Amino acid sequence: MLKKFLENKMAVAMTGLVFIIALIGLFAPVLAPHDPYATNIMNKFAKFSMDYPLGTDHLGRCVLSRMIYGIRPTLGLATLTMFGTIGLGAFMGFMAGYFRGWIDEIIMRVVDVMLSFPSQIMVFAVVALLGIDVRNVILANVFIKWAWYARMIRAGVLKYRDKNYIQFSRCVGNKESFILLRHLLPSISSELAVLASLDIGWAIINISTLSFLGLGVQAPVPEWGAMLNEAKNVLTTNPVQMIAPGIAIVVLVTAFNLLGDALRDVLDPKEAS
Amino acid sequence: MRNYIIKRVLGAIPLLICISFLCFVFINLIPSDPAEVALRVSQVPVITEEIIAETRAAMGLDKPYLVRYLDWVINCLHLDFGISYTNPDRTVGGELLRCLPATLVLAGASLVLVIFLSLPIGFFCAVYKDSWFDRITRGFIFMTTAMPAYWVGLLLMWLVSIKFDLLPTSGNGSWKHLILPAFTVSLTYISTYIRLIRNNMLENMKEDYVLYANVRGLPQKSILVKHILKNSLHTCIVAVGMSIPQLIAGTIVVENVFAWPGLGTLCITSIFNRDYPVIQTYVLLIGVLFVVFNLLFDIIQTIADPRLKNEVS
Repeated sequence: MLKKFLENKMAVAMTGLVFIIALIGLFAPVLAPHDPYATNIMNKFAKFSMDYPLGTDHLGRCVLSRMIYGIRPTLGLATLTMFGTIGLGAFMGFMAGYFRGWIDEIIMRVVDVMLSFPSQIMVFAVVALLGIDVRNVILANVFIKWAWYARMIRAGVLKYRDKNYIQFSRCVGNKESFILLRHLLPSISSELAVLASLDIGWAIINISTLSFLGLGVQAPVPEWGAMLNEAKNVLTTNPVQMIAPGIAIVVLVTAFNLLGDALRDVLDPKEAS
Repeated sequence: MRNYIIKRVLGAIPLLICISFLCFVFINLIPSDPAEVALRVSQVPVITEEIIAETRAAMGLDKPYLVRYLDWVINCLHLDFGISYTNPDRTVGGELLRCLPATLVLAGASLVLVIFLSLPIGFFCAVYKDSWFDRITRGFIFMTTAMPAYWVGLLLMWLVSIKFDLLPTSGNGSWKHLILPAFTVSLTYISTYIRLIRNNMLENMKEDYVLYANVRGLPQKSILVKHILKNSLHTCIVAVGMSIPQLIAGTIVVENVFAWPGLGTLCITSIFNRDYPVIQTYVLLIGVLFVVFNLLFDIIQTIADPRLKNEVS
């Protein structure tokens, strides 16, 4: 598996890119040339220079520093969303697929209702209900997305639960929890990895969209969507402001999309043969 | 056939009940008392326990849960969705009706763009597979999946309206105002459908009936249009039909960028103002639209496709 992964240039390159971006975000205090919150109204909308490589915004804050600090909420929140979604979805999916019966019935009916709602509207509804806050944005994203994972994981569990090796494991008296964690989870994890890396791009766009609308990360915190919201107000006078955050989002999402495609090639035995 | 339609329509009813119940529960899950929120939002100066109790009775909040749900559903069926918190002299139904035309115009224009752009582009991509045209289109499609709609909107606004001063930046008034928002909304769907049509056609090209048509010596043009395209369109029509409510819901972000006075703008303002009845009705409306359009195009597909029709009967 690892060898195949290393042979796939795209997978390695994109993992590297994402890793580097994450590291830059992690070491933001060291790498950022200025304090992302330090305003200097005398120096607003400064041009590109050695001191301010990407210029300054409408409050004279260093755009490059804000971009670097912006990696934290963007990547961090998206990762958190994915962990929440996969956790809840996997739990529900395993429950439904493994125990069948009325548990399956109830969970899958709920999943059906969840999937019949347009996801974007549900995010807005949940944020409206719980109040405008970052935590609620994550909750909303998890709340609308888990159903997809529950359905996929249930299908996976159904595919594997009566395989010989699992029946054997049950015969020799292994505990059900052992079978779930050691036999079923690894079988499904490759499909899960592909879906998750494709969906994390979706989560990034979704979170930045909410921040752009003012429903997510709030004003002084540097976040790419929120930066674009500020750029929107000065679109006529200083269009340069909207370039850097936009490109950053596109690059990061593209990296995850390419990574997802590459992972599918690596992990899908059908494609390989 | 008739039995099938009746079965499908009846099958949608539990889903509609679930959606309406979710919407009802939604407004009752607000951490604060709805009566208190209503009073505060409509700026009643002094809020006493008595006034809250009075409002609770007036809003019917003192009745049991299920009774209130039934009352609410019956009111909704009479198209009475309650009164806006922020504007007590306006009904929610009236507010939605005021904003609905603008959104429908935008969604309609986007739908037209989606159909007229993705169909020919997808067709030529499949016909000239791996040509430079196909490659460029595929690259473009890949780019659009990574671009947030609002950023595309900002870029277009800057390039077309500010740099070249061709079209107005925001608001609605003439058809000129419509072009940029409609294009922005439709962009993601265009890439989806180009890919769908292209892949469908490429798959159909491998079928036996195409080989047979070739053996019969039919001209390539007629095979492509009459056989392959026609067979590829079935799934596309259904997919486009089912995405109509998605288009209506999807305008929410783009409306905000271009200051388009439709449902999306209303929804965002309502979220900021905590105008819960408006949000509730909006979510209900979109949910119902989803169920109805899915049902409608499912039935249309079954009627239009002889293979499915035989399977059903």
